[in-house]
Amino acid sequence: MPGLSFDNYQRNQFLAAKGFGTPRATSTGTTIVGCKFAGGVVIAADTRATAGSIVADKNCEKLHRLAPQIWCAGAGTAADTEMVTQLIASNLELHSLSQNRKPRVITALTMLKQHLFKYQGHLGAYLIVAGVDPTGAHLMSVQAHGSTDIGHYQSLGSGSLAAMAVLETHWKPNMTKEEAVQLCAQAIELGIWNDLGSGSNVDVCVMEVGKDAELYRNYKTPNVRESKTRSYKFPRGTTAVLKERSWQVVDEQVVATGEPMEVDA
Amino acid sequence: MNATVASEYSAERHSVPIEHRFNPYSDNGGTVLGIAGEDFAVLAGDTRQVVGYSINTRYEPRVFDVGDNIVMTANGFDADGAALIDRFRNSLKWYKFDHNGKRLSILSAARYIQHLLYGKRFFPYYVSTLIAGLDDEGRGAVYSYDPVGSYEREQCRAGGAAASLIMPFLDNQVNFKNQYVPGSDGKKKKELRYLSLEEVIQLVRDAFTSATERHIYVGDGLEILIVTKEGVRTEYFPLKRD
Amino acid sequence: MEALVQRLAPPPAHVDPDEYDLGADGEGNLNALGVVRGMQVPRVPDPAAFLSTYTNSMSQNPQAKIKLEHGTTTLAFRFRGGIIVSVDSRATAGSYIASGTVKKVIEINKYLLGTMAGGAADCQYWETYLGMRCRMHELRNKERISVAAASKLLANIVYEYKGQGLSMGTMICGWDKTGPAIFYVDSEGTRLKGDVFAVGSGATFAYGVLDQGYSWDLSDEDAQELGRRAIVAAGHRDAYSGNTNNLFHVREDGWEFLGNKDISELWYKYEQEKRDARVAAAAQPGSGEGAQGENPARPTTEVQSVPMEE
Repeated sequence: MPGLSFDNYQRNQFLAAKGFGTPRATSTGTTIVGCKFAGGVVIAADTRATAGSIVADKNCEKLHRLAPQIWCAGAGTAADTEMVTQLIASNLELHSLSQNRKPRVITALTMLKQHLFKYQGHLGAYLIVAGVDPTGAHLMSVQAHGSTDIGHYQSLGSGSLAAMAVLETHWKPNMTKEEAVQLCAQAIELGIWNDLGSGSNVDVCVMEVGKDAELYRNYKTPNVRESKTRSYKFPRGTTAVLKERSWQVVDEQVVATGEPMEVDA
Repeated sequence: MNATVASEYSAERHSVPIEHRFNPYSDNGGTVLGIAGEDFAVLAGDTRQVVGYSINTRYEPRVFDVGDNIVMTANGFDADGAALIDRFRNSLKWYKFDHNGKRLSILSAARYIQHLLYGKRFFPYYVSTLIAGLDDEGRGAVYSYDPVGSYEREQCRAGGAAASLIMPFLDNQVNFKNQYVPGSDGKKKKELRYLSLEEVIQLVRDAFTSATERHIYVGDGLEILIVTKEGVRTEYFPLKRD
Repeated sequence: MEALVQRLAPPPAHVDPDEYDLGADGEGNLNALGVVRGMQVPRVPDPAAFLSTYTNSMSQNPQAKIKLEHGTTTLAFRFRGGIIVSVDSRATAGSYIASGTVKKVIEINKYLLGTMAGGAADCQYWETYLGMRCRMHELRNKERISVAAASKLLANIVYEYKGQGLSMGTMICGWDKTGPAIFYVDSEGTRLKGDVFAVGSGATFAYGVLDQGYSWDLSDEDAQELGRRAIVAAGHRDAYSGNTNNLFHVREDGWEFLGNKDISELWYKYEQEKRDARVAAAAQPGSGEGAQGENPARPTTEVQSVPMEE
């Protein structure tokens, strides 16, 4: 049977009732945004991943490649955004190969929404999908339950309100590429400062018609840690050696003698 | 013509009573830290106040000078913390009125706070409380409490959101836990010694910048209250705001 | 109206009948004479259920936000030379070790000791209060309170709060006219007189060592060592016990504190002593099958060289 396994559902409910909390998935309590400009589209994300109130990763990547010129930003459960993105990327590539055409953004979005709807929200993936294809530049988003949106600017994640505040104030039609990048970066920064689920750096990806997509990893780094006031280097021998073990490693040269495999010409 | 439209809500009947859960608590985050030295004590706290994923304010003092060379903090649920500290300050005021301005020793303050907390044993203050000051011999003292008043004098203690991140660091750097004299093959422990005020402030700053990196409820600013026989002095250091 | 007022009023707290109605002023929840006044209780239909929802005081709700500190392995036994009281020093709040330096023996007065297991605050608070009541008894009656009376005082106090969420398991140990006595008192209202008790999550481990080595005629040194060894065993096997051991000896002229020692250091010391004893026994000519047949002591440092096959 394909699909998610609910075999342990009852056991887990029982365990939860006895006080054994379910393991928490790393959620990218996140700020992600996207914005169109004349001749292309840009998306951006922060880089903080949290597990409850602990920062699990200070510089994670929330921008995923679906196709060379179609990228998406993910919020929600880290594992779900990662896996669903990889699956759709593979299927998109196969589809593109069989049709001998470049993949389209609407195709990616349709595949994503059909997949997510099938799982009734159990896959916690919230994505902003953007890219350029033969029909032009596109910006769309899809929610965990399968509903989708299309717009000139979008924001998702726990910091989406802070980011949307920036987008709503400063967005204007037909911006230049530089203006759009600035706007997105500023929107993410507002999420970084005002939403506790978002933090660290800003990643940006620009997709322009007729050009390769450009990923600006750590486009902004406004949260570099100051140096510590003390050195915490321990003198050698601070902890005792309890056990010693040594191996005599022999360096062996393996000479290949096998026959080469037969391959069709 | 009648302009009123009957809503029919008044006719609604509920088959079961509506249950309203009484929830008097919330978590306002923040972390505090107290260290006692030979002739001084410090109590430090970050200045961020949060609820959920939002920041209420980036500067709300968490540690207070409550008089008689005693500093105090009650971290956890801010309303409870404020109520507890208010109550303590008020009693201290009346203690002075009633006893000709007599100084309250930290020993007595510590026992009194136990009674304030235990008085709400069946409706606890949701706080971890710390006080710091100098004892009758002039040595640094830190007292720590659980939410219902179990207390203990200690050399150092971290409380609040990132307590479990900071406390192991303190065990290692203040009480030298798991540190041995090099060459003794783990037989001789590193000898305990009093840290200087400068060293203590460095440890406090590093503890808070590190906690800020890994805990979302910690950040914005660090305020350190230092108690010496000269009185209480405050130092402030900015922390990351993300 | 009467009924309404009664319903909203906090439940009656512990009141000393001797001093009822005296002193309106006071500090905290004590009145001017130091007697406990009504404690604040939430205005909900079931205060105990409220407490259980928000605290882990009854150990029913491990996810409760307010984690109260809980004490863990304590023991006391009576023998020819008096009473040995031995405890660990760990306090846990959930799975977090809140403290490793807790004083779990509460010095009620020169002749009386109380131990702490369960809620740290409950034990600390009520046993301190018991100290005050014992002193009042001395002043009123011109003689020291008996261990039986002191323990009953405590049992009566906690019984008034039964079902409201107090959590304590304590041993009241002391020397009075009748000689050494131990009373076990807990928050359920139990009060037992006995010779050997261990209380807390590590009690089973402590009993194991205690029952194996206990005898009424133990020498002072052997009794003290037994008390120490039992706590070390519990500290080693029980995750909620550990850190250090505090040891007390109660004699006719009052109690004596015999020191604070690191449990893990003691454990490794005992292990080393066992190894040394085995080596010594093996070296003894004519004992067993000789050195060859015996299991030699495992070297602490093992240097292994594993050459790879050529």
